[in-house]
Amino acid sequence: MKTGNRNFIGAIALIASALSGQAFAQSQDCIVLKSTAEIEKEMVSDQGEKSKSLVPAGKVIPGTEVVWTVTANNVCKQPSDKVTINNPVPDHMALVPNSATGPGADITYSVDGKSFAPAGQLTVQENGVTRPARGDEYKHIRWEFKNSLAPGASAFARFRAVLN
Amino acid sequence: MQSLRFTALAAIALTLGVSANNAHARGVPAGTAINNTATVDYTVGAVTATVTSNQSSVVVAEIVDVDVIVQTPTVAVTPGATQQVMRYRVTNIGNGPETFRLVMSNAIAGDQFDPTAASPAIYLDSDASGTYNTGDAPYVVGTNDPVLAADGFVTVFVFNDIPAAAVDGNTGRSNLTADARTGTGAPGTVFAGAGASGTDAVVGSTGGDGVAQGEYVVEGVAITAIKSQTVVDQFGGARPVPGARIDYSIVVNATGTGIAAAAAFTDNIPTGTTYVPGTLRLNTTALSDNADADVGAFESSPQPRVRVQLGNLTAASGTQTITFAVTINSL
Repeated sequence: MKTGNRNFIGAIALIASALSGQAFAQSQDCIVLKSTAEIEKEMVSDQGEKSKSLVPAGKVIPGTEVVWTVTANNVCKQPSDKVTINNPVPDHMALVPNSATGPGADITYSVDGKSFAPAGQLTVQENGVTRPARGDEYKHIRWEFKNSLAPGASAFARFRAVLN
Repeated sequence: MQSLRFTALAAIALTLGVSANNAHARGVPAGTAINNTATVDYTVGAVTATVTSNQSSVVVAEIVDVDVIVQTPTVAVTPGATQQVMRYRVTNIGNGPETFRLVMSNAIAGDQFDPTAASPAIYLDSDASGTYNTGDAPYVVGTNDPVLAADGFVTVFVFNDIPAAAVDGNTGRSNLTADARTGTGAPGTVFAGAGASGTDAVVGSTGGDGVAQGEYVVEGVAITAIKSQTVVDQFGGARPVPGARIDYSIVVNATGTGIAAAAAFTDNIPTGTTYVPGTLRLNTTALSDNADADVGAFESSPQPRVRVQLGNLTAASGTQTITFAVTINSL
């Protein structure tokens, strides 16, 4: 886990609060981050209409597609900038290609966790030969939200992965 | 010693064991916890911070799936024979350990007789040798149901007797069924908490059970071939020296009540010898070396050999004598 610049001294906090005119309490995170695991269930109404809805995933069998959703809620009175969500693809799961979504975000991926690139631009080594990485080989996903997250607002990121 | 090959179609059934399919368990082991934690980086003014989410998890449920194959799909038997064995493989293709119950059934449509179950009828290959031997345990339902890990398999032997009234060509079918003790049913049926590590067990695409069928085929005919040879060397003696001639005689005989249809005799010319052209005979009738209208030929590929078509042989056909000669090559 990356550590931010938390070791700032009290003076900077005072300066920051003086500039913004409001207090940024360093002991309180401005973003509350929630992660959920769900599966998509098909429902049939009394009229025979089919619809899909997400329900919590508890116990799943291999081959099941799990929908992972991350929400970032700004609980402070200042906007949050450069909001970036990082989510590794869980163990024993394969990312469903093109399933990552996040309104207002640039989405990039990584195979090694260090270098990130848009879909289609990653490579892997196989038997000494470099080849393009397949979508199900991406191991990390990153959402970089282009706009600030206003106080009280939420940013939303989602991807799907299949259990091996 | 030369190789003697004898092939007959139809009435003589092959009893080669079929190598098992590689049925593989699918998936992450049941009970495994899959955890996911996300992080967010952000800045407020000049300050950057990172927050970690809660850990959201799913637990891998157990798929209940089994594969049964027969490794001896056709077993040749004679009327009245007892303890005729059939071999099956039962594989756990789910993702968690599972106990299976085995049932043999002989009342199956489409055959001419029902094999009679021997007692005991089912044995487990306790020493995992792949063949039945006296150490293997008789199977008793509910007492030694095989417990198989994911991807694990057990070889099962089934013993039946053949009715004395069965005649040549009759078939008798026998099934072996395996079903998962945790539960069977429509794929997707959930047995809550019944899986490994207390997770749910979910019936997989096989329904949690599997069945395979073998067939006993009565073949009333047996073929014997007895070979003899005479050596004459170029000095009037009987020493097998280079240049000496070996005359082979093979007597083929059918016994029993059935027909060996389209029986074909082939015999390789031994390494280090050369076929003497024009010496192939069936019951003293000379056969031309070429493949033509008569029943015999000398073939040089894939390896030098003689071949004689004996037609449909029965006990009434009488003995068939094939003769041919070779010379021993110089060194």
